[in-house]
Amino acid sequence: MNLGPSILPVVARNLRDGRFRALACALILALAAHVAPPLSITRTGVAVLAVVDITGSMSVRDYPAAAGPASRIETAKAALRALLPDLPCGSRVALGLFTDRRPFLLFTPVEVCADFAPLDGALAALDPRMAWEGDSRIAAGLFRSVAMAQEIDADLLFVSDGQETPPLPASGGPTFDGKPGAVRGLIVGTGGYGLSPIPRFDDRGRETGFLSETDVQQENRSGPPPADAESREGYNPRNAPFGARAAPGTEHLASVREPYLKRLAAETGLAYAHLDGPGGLAGPLLAAATPRPLPGQFDPRPALGATALALTLLAYLAGPLQRRHRRVGPNVQRAGPIST
Amino acid sequence: MSDLSARLGATAPWMLWLLPLALLPLMLSAQRRAGVPASAAAPADPLSTAIGRTIRFAGFLALAGLIAALSGPYRTGARITRIGIGAQVSLLIDRSGSMNETFAGRQPSGAEESKAAASRRILGDFVGARPHDLFAVTAFSTAPMLVMPMTDRHGAVRAAIAAIDRPGLDYTNIGRGLGMALAQFGSDVGASRALVLVSDGAAVIDPRIQDQLRAAVSRIRPNLYWLFLRTKGSPGIGDRPAGEDTPQAAPERHLDLFFRGLGVPYRVFEAEGAEAVAAAVRQIEALERDPIPFVEERPWRDLTGLAYALAALGLAVLALAKLAEADFASAPPADRSRDGAEAASRPIREEAA
Repeated sequence: MNLGPSILPVVARNLRDGRFRALACALILALAAHVAPPLSITRTGVAVLAVVDITGSMSVRDYPAAAGPASRIETAKAALRALLPDLPCGSRVALGLFTDRRPFLLFTPVEVCADFAPLDGALAALDPRMAWEGDSRIAAGLFRSVAMAQEIDADLLFVSDGQETPPLPASGGPTFDGKPGAVRGLIVGTGGYGLSPIPRFDDRGRETGFLSETDVQQENRSGPPPADAESREGYNPRNAPFGARAAPGTEHLASVREPYLKRLAAETGLAYAHLDGPGGLAGPLLAAATPRPLPGQFDPRPALGATALALTLLAYLAGPLQRRHRRVGPNVQRAGPIST
Repeated sequence: MSDLSARLGATAPWMLWLLPLALLPLMLSAQRRAGVPASAAAPADPLSTAIGRTIRFAGFLALAGLIAALSGPYRTGARITRIGIGAQVSLLIDRSGSMNETFAGRQPSGAEESKAAASRRILGDFVGARPHDLFAVTAFSTAPMLVMPMTDRHGAVRAAIAAIDRPGLDYTNIGRGLGMALAQFGSDVGASRALVLVSDGAAVIDPRIQDQLRAAVSRIRPNLYWLFLRTKGSPGIGDRPAGEDTPQAAPERHLDLFFRGLGVPYRVFEAEGAEAVAAAVRQIEALERDPIPFVEERPWRDLTGLAYALAALGLAVLALAKLAEADFASAPPADRSRDGAEAASRPIREEAA
């Protein structure tokens, strides 16, 4: 029998039907999602040189943890390892150690996703016993770390407690001769705000108690004496320009030297953040670091699929929803056909 | 089957909580509704029933497919252990200050290359030349430093090697460095192990540490290579000192003797220039040609496309059904009586007037 004349108006009418259109759109979107290639986009990542202070004061255990207090170096390591998965893929991390007055580069930047395992392993292996000198001249080390970060084209993440050993002379520390802000990055102040004893180790790396007041230099007596030296007991301009008595002090105890680190940060144009626990570095670092364009991929399929799902559900729910709407509407005449 | 289900996964499994929505087509229809006074009045029609079921199933397929696709389904890749040619290589690299001098013992100027820069270039080529080698990098000066644990990620190893021509540190404390480099070999057996020491000098090893090293070497049994970057005019490995022959007077000679006494295969290469270093590395590469087990990842398969294809199939049936739908409410009765095929395609219902 001849269906032509009767079907065409039906099809034409159905083509205008809202639910048909929703389903047809969903079909097109699902087909598009089936074939859609990932789109190339530019994302932002970071390239960062992490320089970790591994001097003696970083062994201080002043971070509360479930299994007794954790040392600063362990907490800093945990924070750095927790940072890796929070960085966008394509970001690169280099690692350096700091003791004495200079940073020591362990490796140049390594990609954080593909090379996650060795990077994580290298961070886990950081140990204060890698230190080659006992001194801790923070300012000098920081300034040279800034220069190193510039050389390898990375931002700087400088993890330190800010305790200069020996203490800075009365005349002040070294001055930064670079351009402030040329290298961006973050100084991470590590340690509690209260004073804690510093563990001491023998030459085989075994802990043998804590440093006492006389174990460390309490005052730096190189350079000219401070202005108040004349009022000290036993002062003699030639024989005892710093006074006759050993200087008392708290240099054998450690706390995070936040004002000093903040001053250094301001001097070098870096940001400052305090390490509150084994994590939370990603936010301050991403805020302080230079955003670097990375080739990325955007997968359009979830967006297409979600829209298709919403349209299909709409096609199914349009009938009941509209009936409900009509039922509560004022002009209920009859349960007529729905052609949404 | 259990193997297959164990290897299926989703990147956003929480999306699967929406799967009950796929049962919606069993209760609702996207077709127009038309009231009939009594559905029992309609004769039983197997074709209509089949078409109705097909449409319901298509709706289920469309919704389930879309939800499954949004959850990012995949089949995990299997890890297969194969045997390749390669070795576990633990590189122990001297980072003392003298490594930054040339082979002539001067600060490099112009086109001259320091010992560290030559090692960097040549070792950088060595890493990654064979795909199944595993590398660990340890540096030492006053203290040993673990730079990169044993890994097959050659990019990371090259990044560690790229740092070795940076200004070095003070001293050459070789004993503890050897201990740390030995500790990098994993416990897995069957792989060929090579410890490659790159240094431009030697130092006295504390007798206490010598004993520890002997114990570690006899347990791990690596092949030992010493790439001695000899500065011109400095004592070589074979040179006996003029005075007393003590480790302090001739550390290079005594380190060599110590290595020879370890009872493992040992080769020493005295290189007095970059060419000799490259030749030595080629020899090491040729010697370390043992089978090594390595893990190959079979790539995971993204099943999202398949889920979208199934959803599209369901949606296509739904859209066609919608397109071929008769409208009993607005079509004139004459049309209806004539349109037998159209009427047969749905459950026949009479419109309530």
